[in-house]
Amino acid sequence: MTVATSRHPVPASPEPAGVDNRLVVGGTALTWRSLPTPTLPDPAAVLARSAVHALTAARQHAVHGTELLLSTASRVDAVMRAELLQAGFTVGVLDGDGVHPSAPARPRAAEPGRLWLLTSGSTGRPKRVGHTLDTLTTVRADQPDRTWLCPYAPGTYAWWQVVTLSLTQPGQHLVVVEPDELDDWPTVAAAHRVDAASGTPTFWRRTLYRDAEALGRVPLRQITLGGEPVDQAILDQLREVFPAARISWIYASSEVGASIVVHDGRAGFPVDWLDRETPGRPTLSVRDDELVVTSPYHGAGLAGPIRTGDRVQVLDGRVLITGRLDSDEINVGGSKVSAGVVRGVLAGHPAVAWARVTGRRAPVLGRMVVAEVVLAAADPSGVDTGVPDEAALVRWCADRLPEHAVPRRIRVLTDIPVKETLKSDV
Amino acid sequence: MHSLGCRLRRMNELSRAQIRDLMAQVLKNQDKELPADDAAQLREIGFRSLDFSELALRVEDETGEELNFDAPGLRRIATVGDVLDFLVELQHQ
Repeated sequence: MTVATSRHPVPASPEPAGVDNRLVVGGTALTWRSLPTPTLPDPAAVLARSAVHALTAARQHAVHGTELLLSTASRVDAVMRAELLQAGFTVGVLDGDGVHPSAPARPRAAEPGRLWLLTSGSTGRPKRVGHTLDTLTTVRADQPDRTWLCPYAPGTYAWWQVVTLSLTQPGQHLVVVEPDELDDWPTVAAAHRVDAASGTPTFWRRTLYRDAEALGRVPLRQITLGGEPVDQAILDQLREVFPAARISWIYASSEVGASIVVHDGRAGFPVDWLDRETPGRPTLSVRDDELVVTSPYHGAGLAGPIRTGDRVQVLDGRVLITGRLDSDEINVGGSKVSAGVVRGVLAGHPAVAWARVTGRRAPVLGRMVVAEVVLAAADPSGVDTGVPDEAALVRWCADRLPEHAVPRRIRVLTDIPVKETLKSDV
Repeated sequence: MHSLGCRLRRMNELSRAQIRDLMAQVLKNQDKELPADDAAQLREIGFRSLDFSELALRVEDETGEELNFDAPGLRRIATVGDVLDFLVELQHQ
């Protein structure tokens, strides 16, 4: 692949196959082809000023193979910036005038075609994981024409998933929502006929909680969930609003790529998918309650079985991914409790819109299960579903969980907390 | 400053009667009743480790202060009175 630099302009590779797909950004209709074509430094760490600048950088990478780390200014602090300069990147904000660069501390040759992702870093500092457009492209089969919502922060793994789909497949259009439009995305999506959307369970819960009616007006035929544990309650709630849509959940990460895709509308995946080896596809295993993935879509430098750090539990023939190993397991007086399983039970209560479950220091038992919930808005049809108090929620859990797993203190919050990654529990 | 800190902490402290109310609430949520007699045996009224832990968390939530569970030595907690004495004492640690 040829590499364009400012000193040696060379002919570009052919435009990607999806170059004429429609892009709607900030309400303006564009195509990949109509985006500006600024020259990017190479290698570059590009901090996109807004969604359109992020798409611009992605397209320039696809055409020129520029070594690229794409992010936003808010996700790269001074320490990370210094690290990137030290690692040979030119770091700069990309806006309508092009890149405003800071020169690398140690200039080096670019690695053509390399894409870098910053992992969201649920513990410790974010790290760089190397990919290429090819290893990020996980949907290869021809797809029905779709207009996708892209609610993710630029440069994250989930963002690249939607972006590579639109870049590489004709007929896959994008409607991008900026962070300040996020609460009102159903209005934007309905106006632009979005029929496919991918988001975290927190993103979907928040949308259902804020305005399920507005959501129902979006003509969705494909609903995708990922990035966090997916419980049965959220799948059922979305099914109620969209009886005919395909509802899928995906397990993917920058380290192991997209490894699990489930379309049957149920939480978890069938237990007989474990330890099944199919050429060209990831192999899934469980070691000591941890999900282990061996995948052809690993990030660069990763090979063989990768311990994901995600905890699994087999229940009724399904393998449920319940949360991060270091935070999911709560030890209550020697009995192990999965926070994810308890969260699933709470989220299954008809009046609960969102739940978070944690361990809290307690006498005698060491830790005790506690929870925070956000209650669903009153039923607009006027049917009184009743607002449960703490005791009622505790009873709901007591009917469905072993005694030591029942959260004894449940705090009611007024709004669903959400981070830039659209996750709650990280 | 130090004496002010002490005064504030004492203002947040729960009385034995207030802790008793919280204990009754813990039991009521399980459709159980707290007898008036402090000598009542915990085993008989069905007040167990999980309930004791919950009560301690409720005391913390009411006072906004963390209890130092490690402070007192091991002891026998067998009656309603033992629970109340222990939690009153724990607030002073």
